[in-house]
Amino acid sequence: MSAPSRSRYRVVVVGAGVIGLYTAHHLAAAGAGPILVVDRGFLSSGASGRNGGGVRQQWETRATVRLARESVAAYRRFGRDFGYNLWFRQGGYLFLAENDRELARLRAVHDLVRSEGLPSEILDPARVAGLVPGIAAGAAVGGTYLASDGVLYPFPAIWGLYEDVRARGVEVALGLEVLGVDARDGRVAAVRTSRGRIETEIVVNAAGGWSADLAQRAGLPSPNTATRHEILATEPMKPFLDPMVVRVSDGLYFSQTMRGEIVGGVTGTNGTGVEGGMPTSPRFLLGMARALVRLVPRLAPLGVLRAWSGFYDDTPDGFPVIGEDPRRPGFVHANGFGGHGFMLAPAASRRVARAAMGETVDLDPATFSPARFLSSERPPSVERLQLG
Amino acid sequence: MAGAPARRFEFEGRARESSGAVPLAASLSSDRVPVLQRSIRYHRPRAPFCGIGYCTGCLVRVNGAPNVRACRYVPAAGDRVRTENAWPSPRFDVMGALDFLFPGGVDTLRGFRRPAALTGAYQRVVRRLAGYGAPPTPEGARVPPPPPIAREVDVGIVGGGPSGTAAAAKLRAAGRNVLVIDRSADPPAGAPDVPRLRGTVTFLPPRSAPGDPFVLLGFSEPDQGIRVTAAQVVVAPGGYDGSLLFEGNDRPGILTADGAFALARGPDHPPFRRAIVVGGGPRAAAVLRAFGHRVEAVVAPLAIVPEVVRIASELEVPLYPRTLVERATGRARVRRLRLRSRGKGTRFDLACDAVVLAHRRLPSTQLFFQAGARVEWRAGAGAYFPVLTTDGATTVAGLYAAGSAAGAVEGDAAASGERAAEGLLRAAGPATAEAASTPDRSELEGYYRELLAGRPGGRWIACACEDVLLDEIEAANRAGYRGIEVIKRYTGVGTGLCQGRYCLPDALLVLALLEGRTPAEVGYITQRPPAVPTPLGALAAIGTAPPETGGP
Ligand SMILES: Cc1cc2nc3c(=O)[nH]c(=O)nc-3n(C[C@H](O)[C@H](O)[C@H](O)COP(=O)(O)OP(=O)(O)OC[C@H]3O[C@@H](n4cnc5c(N)ncnc54)[C@H](O)[C@@H]3O)c2cc1C
Ligand code: FES
Repeated sequence: MSAPSRSRYRVVVVGAGVIGLYTAHHLAAAGAGPILVVDRGFLSSGASGRNGGGVRQQWETRATVRLARESVAAYRRFGRDFGYNLWFRQGGYLFLAENDRELARLRAVHDLVRSEGLPSEILDPARVAGLVPGIAAGAAVGGTYLASDGVLYPFPAIWGLYEDVRARGVEVALGLEVLGVDARDGRVAAVRTSRGRIETEIVVNAAGGWSADLAQRAGLPSPNTATRHEILATEPMKPFLDPMVVRVSDGLYFSQTMRGEIVGGVTGTNGTGVEGGMPTSPRFLLGMARALVRLVPRLAPLGVLRAWSGFYDDTPDGFPVIGEDPRRPGFVHANGFGGHGFMLAPAASRRVARAAMGETVDLDPATFSPARFLSSERPPSVERLQLG
Repeated sequence: MAGAPARRFEFEGRARESSGAVPLAASLSSDRVPVLQRSIRYHRPRAPFCGIGYCTGCLVRVNGAPNVRACRYVPAAGDRVRTENAWPSPRFDVMGALDFLFPGGVDTLRGFRRPAALTGAYQRVVRRLAGYGAPPTPEGARVPPPPPIAREVDVGIVGGGPSGTAAAAKLRAAGRNVLVIDRSADPPAGAPDVPRLRGTVTFLPPRSAPGDPFVLLGFSEPDQGIRVTAAQVVVAPGGYDGSLLFEGNDRPGILTADGAFALARGPDHPPFRRAIVVGGGPRAAAVLRAFGHRVEAVVAPLAIVPEVVRIASELEVPLYPRTLVERATGRARVRRLRLRSRGKGTRFDLACDAVVLAHRRLPSTQLFFQAGARVEWRAGAGAYFPVLTTDGATTVAGLYAAGSAAGAVEGDAAASGERAAEGLLRAAGPATAEAASTPDRSELEGYYRELLAGRPGGRWIACACEDVLLDEIEAANRAGYRGIEVIKRYTGVGTGLCQGRYCLPDALLVLALLEGRTPAEVGYITQRPPAVPTPLGALAAIGTAPPETGGP
């Protein structure tokens, strides 16, 4: 397909998912010089084309709340900035607690989120039932809710970014795989690809679930692990459900798209490693159906239209990896986004671009820098709300 | 089914009667092409099309459950049935008044962005227009869902047509414990007696380990789960009649041959008075044989085989070989077909009250794909087929294929079933052949090249479930998007209820022309499970059921 026109670029971004394309957008806007984005698959073949489109600002750490809040603002402007309608519907995120212990955990989230100026609410079972029509009696002792969270369509974000970066002169080469990263004097010098060598000063690792694999190809061991997560969509129906619903106990999550489908999954992983591909398992399909029908019995007659899976790129502490690798100047990380890369992409990739240009970044290095995994010190904080 | 007691049910608040196993669609109106709803973006009238439960043509609401396929659902006494997604009624189109707002089509990708202050209002309106039926009411769901049917057999056979039945008979004679799972209630006339289960297998995952049994999951309509465990599997689900791309191809009265057979109440009661049959091969011959006296003309995109010529001349039905179908017109129902003879380019019209698409039989390959069996593009048929050995072994050990899904031609189906049974008994396979996708062009590509050159304007619906226009596919191509996987995500073509069965085969050919590549290069459409939309309740019940015991 679209082959690179040059043999040398200032930056090569590996991965044309939401992180890679958004980073390329910020780099191009900052005038970083010739930029090439490569992806071995087709546009949206990674997690960016396989996710639930959930966008929330309710998190257990201030650092994540802030990135998410900034991203919500960017997604609200997306239609104006990029020409595509994401149908970003702010119907809220509702976290469900099944017992008092879970509710106490949600209360702590609620306090933190409020202290960041976001009007999160604690709901009693009656208000929960008002938001989830037909929820089984006694299914929740309460929950937290933030009305400005919501759901968007991931695909138009990819189209908008793709057209934007191309209009800015960025080249996007699809069907091109990065096989290795060469160094000269310890610095990044070139990428070896399935169609030859391309010289570059900077490589951005936005390879999603394959980020550890790419880092390894550059000779840089990474603690990131790919975990497979499954998801399904039902036949469309008329508006039924406004919020994204997430159950704390087992990570069941579901929302209704603008098109009317119920889209959801169970956060528990379906296996580790990218080797097995992205199949759908009976365990998920049957288990998800059971969980959904138990929670909202009236959904039983609705047909499951399709099921699929994709990879999360998980880190040991639940925070993404943003910044230059101290072991290899020029190798910049933009990965480890777990199940939340879409909702953090606008804010996170702005920092990735700055880091790639060697500028200072307003992120706590102890929390986000790749260097944190190289020291033996315990991480200062851990983001544990890895649900939905 | 004659003589079965009549059952009373309610349709749109009025009492109706039905008897035997006649599905709702066939008992609703005298012409059996009832307009039941409007399409989501262009509120076009929608009526039964496929007759086999795949399309979006016949969705109704039954007792509070949405999206029930009227062509499959047999009404029970006391059922309350109503139409949905059509206000004030399916035949009366008030939304048409808004059409002038969207002369180029409703652009959900780039439209509705301005002014930003209206975002919420746009979303509320569009959300209400999207979606098929209203959410289920509590009465619409059986709580808890009915217990599933669980069986354990030596060989599970998917599809009870001539090939599946022949395979079952042979395997049974060899002492194997077999079970045929088929969507229809009755075996074909004169078929050997083999254990049968009425149901649809919708999910055949790869085995977790080579020695493990296969697990076939699915449902028995309307909502009972099925789980069959089998050491080996013969997949013989047959095929279905493909659609054809032309302006107005979604008009009520345009049916696939499957649809014409399903909606007929016997050969003397076809759902039309004068139909145009599209196609010149064995399937067109079958339609002619069944409904000959009601056929107005035979129009074939390609050549016409001698058998069709013979039947048509006996019936004095005119033949139009090598003819392009350009446009169907008619309001509530198709009234006229605009045709263009290939090569010469002369245009002419034929009047009709139905169009029966019988030009192209496509294989049902979802289960092969799900189980991890390799498939290959066959240009002649213009479709993907499983890679097989001569005795029907797929590339997955223990998984065999028979019948038209395995590429058997008409008349050879039973023999192909027997070959698969023999292969299974000898433990033949698995196939190792590399997928040998043929580089030649299919004849239909030439058809579309000619049709689309100088194509007249108008709304060509490329995907009727999602109301995607051919213009949108062309625009995506112009914007630089390549490959069926990306075009599908960009335009929505193939993402509706039919799961791409009726739109993607033609979209693939059109894209091959636009991209200047072969269909195999444009891509294989990964068919995500389940193969047919499967009720959550049925799946939930399977998930809760204790491990099955014993055989059938
Ligand atoms: C089932 C599921 C549900 C999710 N739900 C949500 C949600 O609700 N909200 C949310 O915010 N996030 C969600 N996520 C997570 C989100 O999708 C991801 O975090 C995000 O898309 C990551 O984007 P990315 O660009 O980093 O990765 P990707 O989109 O995966 O892109 C990485 C790309 O890199 C390419 N690549 C890898 N290695 C190479 C190589 N060596 N050479 C060339 N190319 C290479 C791949 O082909 C791929 O296209 C979900 C994920 C899954 C799987
Ligand atoms: S006509 Fe009933 S689903 Fe197609």
